[in-house]
Amino acid sequence: MLEYAGSQRAGLRNERETPHLLSVARSLDWVLLVGVAALVLVGLWGVAGVTKFAVPNDPSYYLNRQILYAAVGGVVLVVAALVDPDLYRRYWRGVFIGTATVIAFVLLIGHAARGSTRWIHVGFFTFQPSEFGKLLFVVALAGMLAERQRVVGAWETTLRVVGLGLLPVVLVFAQPDLGTALVYLAALAAMLFVAGVPWRHLAVLGGLVVIVAVGVLWAAPAAGVNVLKSYQQQRLTCFTHPSNCPASAGYNLDQAKTTVGSGQIRGRGTNGSTQVNLGFLPESQTDFVFAGFAEQRGFLGAALLLGLYLIVLWRGLRVITVARDLFSAVVAGGIVVALLFQIFVNVGMTMGIAPITGIPLPFVSVGGSSLIANLAAMGVLLAIHARGRVSRGRRAALSGRG
Amino acid sequence: MASTTTRRLPLPPSRRARAEEPDAEQTAVEPYRLTPKLARRVALLGGLVVIGFAALVGRLWALQVLAGPHYAARAQANQVRSVRVAAPRGQIVDRNRNVLVTNRPVTAVELWPSGLPKVYSRRVAELRELAQITGVNVRQVTRLILARRQMGDMLDPVVVRPDAPAPMLTYLQERAANFPGLTLARSYVRKYPHGALAPQLLGYTGQISPPELQAFGKSGYAPGDVIGQTGIEATYNKYLFGVPGAARVRVDSLGRPRSARTLTTQPQPGQTVRLTIDTGLQLAAQNALDYGIQTARNQGKWAADGGAIVAMSPKDGSILALASSPTYDPSVYTGRVTTRKLKAQGLVGTPAFDKNYPALDRALDATYPPGSTFKPLTAIAALEEHLIKPYAFYPCTGTYVSPADHSHHVFHNWDKFVNQGMDLPTALAQSCDTYFYRAGNSFYELPKDRGQPLQKWARAFGFGRQSTLDLGTDVSGTVPTIGWKHRMYTKATDKNWQIDRLWKPGDSITLAIGQGQLLVTPLQMTRLYAAIANGGKLVTPHVLLNVENPNGTIVPTTPPAAPRPVPGLDRAYVKVVQQGLFQATHDPYGTSFGVFGNFPGPAISGKTGTAQKTVHLPGYTGEQDQSWWCGYGPANHPELVVCAMIENGGEGGAAAAPAAERVFAKFFHVQAPPPIPVKSD
Repeated sequence: MLEYAGSQRAGLRNERETPHLLSVARSLDWVLLVGVAALVLVGLWGVAGVTKFAVPNDPSYYLNRQILYAAVGGVVLVVAALVDPDLYRRYWRGVFIGTATVIAFVLLIGHAARGSTRWIHVGFFTFQPSEFGKLLFVVALAGMLAERQRVVGAWETTLRVVGLGLLPVVLVFAQPDLGTALVYLAALAAMLFVAGVPWRHLAVLGGLVVIVAVGVLWAAPAAGVNVLKSYQQQRLTCFTHPSNCPASAGYNLDQAKTTVGSGQIRGRGTNGSTQVNLGFLPESQTDFVFAGFAEQRGFLGAALLLGLYLIVLWRGLRVITVARDLFSAVVAGGIVVALLFQIFVNVGMTMGIAPITGIPLPFVSVGGSSLIANLAAMGVLLAIHARGRVSRGRRAALSGRG
Repeated sequence: MASTTTRRLPLPPSRRARAEEPDAEQTAVEPYRLTPKLARRVALLGGLVVIGFAALVGRLWALQVLAGPHYAARAQANQVRSVRVAAPRGQIVDRNRNVLVTNRPVTAVELWPSGLPKVYSRRVAELRELAQITGVNVRQVTRLILARRQMGDMLDPVVVRPDAPAPMLTYLQERAANFPGLTLARSYVRKYPHGALAPQLLGYTGQISPPELQAFGKSGYAPGDVIGQTGIEATYNKYLFGVPGAARVRVDSLGRPRSARTLTTQPQPGQTVRLTIDTGLQLAAQNALDYGIQTARNQGKWAADGGAIVAMSPKDGSILALASSPTYDPSVYTGRVTTRKLKAQGLVGTPAFDKNYPALDRALDATYPPGSTFKPLTAIAALEEHLIKPYAFYPCTGTYVSPADHSHHVFHNWDKFVNQGMDLPTALAQSCDTYFYRAGNSFYELPKDRGQPLQKWARAFGFGRQSTLDLGTDVSGTVPTIGWKHRMYTKATDKNWQIDRLWKPGDSITLAIGQGQLLVTPLQMTRLYAAIANGGKLVTPHVLLNVENPNGTIVPTTPPAAPRPVPGLDRAYVKVVQQGLFQATHDPYGTSFGVFGNFPGPAISGKTGTAQKTVHLPGYTGEQDQSWWCGYGPANHPELVVCAMIENGGEGGAAAAPAAERVFAKFFHVQAPPPIPVKSD
């Protein structure tokens, strides 16, 4: 495409490609940054309590590791905030293929080991690609949407994006990691929504999701085909029919509710929280960490945590509106909705208002991959915000001159 | 040019929709701006966030604030478990309240199966190490855990070693962190102050087994309970067991205790079982057995590998001593029970054969031919059937041939050179076989319609059936009858079964002197002599005196049936037999005059017995004599019946009678004089 120098477009492009570090720093979303920092601190506070008696004679075993992960995540956040998100847009194919390959590789070694796995061992560090995949697939699919932004209302676009987006969903589902697959789906829907895909497309897709869900949960088992593992099936159907729930599946929910409820207003403290310390709460450091946190810190602590989430989500939604281009807006939308979905499903499942799926609680659950990936996503949000602010200021200046 | 190129691009179908928006034309020039459409959609997402968080906070409020107390109570209930606290087992004491069996506190090494490492290799490693330290077989521990799992109980510990010595406990305490699932618990095991005294009678305890649990499950027993397995411990377990208490203990989700136990219901210790046994007399009986066995062995030709002594009150059937030899140390069944320990005591495997089965209570559970000690019964039966007259003289000769016997079999008297007429007391005193052969032949020659009176009287005095002992485990023995022989000999048993199954003169003749196929227990013989001593009343042998609560009050129990006269028995005939038994110990020709003639205490009456039995023992094959002596004293108003039996011990007067004499000496507080050796039957 030919362009003449000095055109507005060339100016924009120029502006896109040269990072203005100082102006980026000046236009940071400080509220979001402080909110995330507070969330990480509250998360560490929670981990300190929940894992206090997890390792005999070493109350800070998990805390120390989590602090290390948080430090690494902080660095990743700063880097992500400084990198121009447009870089991801330009190389979205590479990002997509690379991420899909790694996740497929996890699936393969899982099969080779005749079991399931979500982790890759890299020396002393094991990491969970699907956690990073949440961010990377959002970026990649946003890149595709941005490429087709002129034809974003076309069925072809919608179908292509959905088609491409379902690949990682299927890969993660096959790990098997139903929870993360659902997070991917939520993010995919959010991206289509933010990209401006017409309502009727969304309505048709929504209808399909309902049909598939009904088919997987009720019709297929009735016909003798089991798409879900029996425990996944049980957890999901238990949520809708708590009364005819097998004891093993019902136990977790029952204990989780007891754990949350027993915290009452002020919490039982780290020493008095028998549900966590005596092991009645399953997965108290990962999937059910919210229940343990709520038991130890009470309603006050849990409300504080939810409040911080709310601040981050609010600022995240605001980032969508200040995004410099469609790509950035879609990325921000995907990140924010994925975060919302994880928070709602994780916190909701411990209290019996969401089905039990294995999703970690962002910023709180013990685990490096989740924490670092979430901080990276926050870094991307910060970058989008900063670039959007800079470009908006530039644009305002340009239009003022013209 | 760029803008024209842009405009020439084919517009997608949604172009029209885009055109409705005011800035649609500008998108190419100004690539992106917050459109109202996007703003609406972001607002919708914001609404979703608000709804979601409202739901979360509302639910959190409902659970923690509104239902908080309810869940706090549930969390509390979650971690508190009620556990069973075993009651200390009751004591077993003798009639003078001397302790026979009591308890000893021990510290047990226990393992919570649910607390073991989940990783297989680490679990195995821990079990191996623990097994090595406690000296228990790994497989044994694994088997315990598996058995517990089969019972469906994974929330109670498995006892690895019931009584760990102090150094082992210190070692384990110091390394507790290396053994997840391990706890040390205080408990009690049985203690036997008198060691190997009457272990067959007292019995032993052991952990309840799955089949026992199924059988007694409804009586309130639980896995891990220690119950009586044999003897008094088993029969009176319901008194000894006590009532387990309950304690509350904080547990984690795997059921492992995390706090000390707080008793909620105090366990009620087991009740004291008081026996009619007299420890002093029991000790004397045990020593007397050893003495009798040693005496028999000193003669050189007798295996003398066991024996039994029963000492009983002829008035009510209460048993004062019940000794069986060989004996064993019952403490091998306390604490850690190992095959090696059991083998050392001859309780399992080939050592049991080598040591001639010490676990067998020969007084109750073994049968022997009684020999001449049976003659008083033959005498009573013959008198009752008017086959003999008490003071009429019948020939006592060296041999006897039955006129009814077509084979003309010659039956020998033990003394070949006797040839005189004898009345019944003399025949009993001298134990004349031919006198009783003749009586036996008379029984044979009775017309069919008179039935089998000898066997009838034998049954009336308790032979061929259980002795109604309150232990309930004794055997019946055998009283051969025409019908019994007919049933016993079939095509399957031998070639000449059609001949062998017939009742022949020899059967009646040998039965009359307590030989042939007659088999009795020492307890049955004691009962016969008690009936002779008390003038014809059959007593109910019993060992339970009473059951006492720990505070001393008596627990109501069913009393043993009162002595009951033998139906149709003429007491005058019993007097004749009593006279014969007195002469047997006091007339110079009496068979145990040498032993009891100079007894320093009150007069003792009694009868020897020497019963031939074909045996196959290491070093001894062929006929071995079962040495018997049964009698009572004082002769006029008897207070004690004693029956002594030395297995393969030779002549009754040489082994069993001196043994019985020592029991009487102890009972009457006199010193027994050394016996005068005399040939007897």
